[in-house]
Amino acid sequence: MIDIAEVSLWYDRAHKALDRVSETIRRGQTVVICGPSGSGKSSLLRCINGLEAFQEGTIRVDGVSVRDPRTDIHRLRAEIGMVFQHFELYPHMTVMQNITLAPMRVRKKARAEAEQKAMALLERVGIPEKAARYPEELSGGQKQRVAIARALAMEPKIMLFDEPTSALDPEMIKEVLDVMTGLAQEGMTMVVVTHEMGFARTVADRIVFMSEGRVVETGTGRDFFERPQHERTRQFLDRILL
Amino acid sequence: MEIFHYTFDWSVLWRSPYGGMLVKGIVTTLHLSLLAWVVALTLGMVVGVARVQPLRWVRFAGGAYVQVFRNTPFLVQLFFWYFAAPLLLPKQDQQWLYDNVPDYAYWAGVLALGAYTASRVAEQVRAGLLSIPPDQYRAAYASGMTGFQVYRYVIAPFALRIMLPPLTTEFLTCFKNSALAMTIGVMEVTHTAYYIDSFTWHGLETTSAASAVYLCIALCIIGLMALTEKRVRIVGMMGRGR
Repeated sequence: MIDIAEVSLWYDRAHKALDRVSETIRRGQTVVICGPSGSGKSSLLRCINGLEAFQEGTIRVDGVSVRDPRTDIHRLRAEIGMVFQHFELYPHMTVMQNITLAPMRVRKKARAEAEQKAMALLERVGIPEKAARYPEELSGGQKQRVAIARALAMEPKIMLFDEPTSALDPEMIKEVLDVMTGLAQEGMTMVVVTHEMGFARTVADRIVFMSEGRVVETGTGRDFFERPQHERTRQFLDRILL
Repeated sequence: MEIFHYTFDWSVLWRSPYGGMLVKGIVTTLHLSLLAWVVALTLGMVVGVARVQPLRWVRFAGGAYVQVFRNTPFLVQLFFWYFAAPLLLPKQDQQWLYDNVPDYAYWAGVLALGAYTASRVAEQVRAGLLSIPPDQYRAAYASGMTGFQVYRYVIAPFALRIMLPPLTTEFLTCFKNSALAMTIGVMEVTHTAYYIDSFTWHGLETTSAASAVYLCIALCIIGLMALTEKRVRIVGMMGRGR
């Protein structure tokens, strides 16, 4: 589903954010990327839908090369949902307008159809009563659930999550993780940058550990936590697992 | 009424032919500054957006414009457009200009004021665009929207609201700077006040009247913009604590 081959990314000549990263994510898999800050996790995620213009290597999503100039990048992005650390809801629009904007403008759906779908998604994330509200009237957990609904409204084949719970108060983390766990169980292909090791352990098919722009180690949940191969991984786990 | 051996004669403000002149002056001030504002807003938006583009030469061009027009005195720019710019034209165009545009001073005023104010507007536009977090742009692009759609539906509606108060200030400055057009012979309200004084020796009354006109119009603009700000306020976000 996602083929990442030898990808390198420089922000400027001196700063190499990704260093020959390769990774394959199969359909229906949930892959968690973790690692210390500045290790290139978010950059890698953004390379997958072409938000970051990497200079070397190739990424293919469903066989389509992301950096190929012949690729219609907007069309490709429409197939890939993305959720951000700080929600990034559009503040001047209601929850309903946030969710229906892309389906109406990109997929050219009729308003009625888009709104019906949006309501169904709001039911699913548990806040149908917030449809007419503005983002600033919601709690962090509610905002993130709206953001997930907004991404799902495009009926994506892949979902990318960029630290979706890092900006949340502890009591709101679960409500977001529950939605994500549900998605994973339904067979959504997901790439999740997170420090939620509980989620990684129980939901992820594979965990990728990155440091300084490189993939240091990858493994299944159990192997990764119980038998980390590299010293760098052990240090990281020691620091974040209590 | 007489103080300090000065006899007031307020009738210079309305008696013929001065009253008519004054009204004409006020009208000229109004459309001169409004036209200049239209130029400033259009050009300023383009330059401001250019200043945040990823392409280096586009950014450079925008930056060069701002530096040149913001860092030379407005009075000098006014003289440039009026006295110098026509000389740069080919001979026949120059002749055409002098033959067919009798009120060239007025148009030079519009152009000069517009071009100068545009450099200031561009800085406000740039600041507004930069105040929107990068992830907000990414969220919009990630949904598959084109660059135009991203700006049209997500960035502009939000950024314009942020820019409204500083743009009000710029508009007021533009309006007041229109007085300098008198130096190239435009008969706007300041020039008219001075002109009436040369016949009547009642400059105290006429300049007071001109000041009052500026003040009243400025206060009207402020009121109008406050109303607009209130109308477009985002629920839960702006205008807190009012």
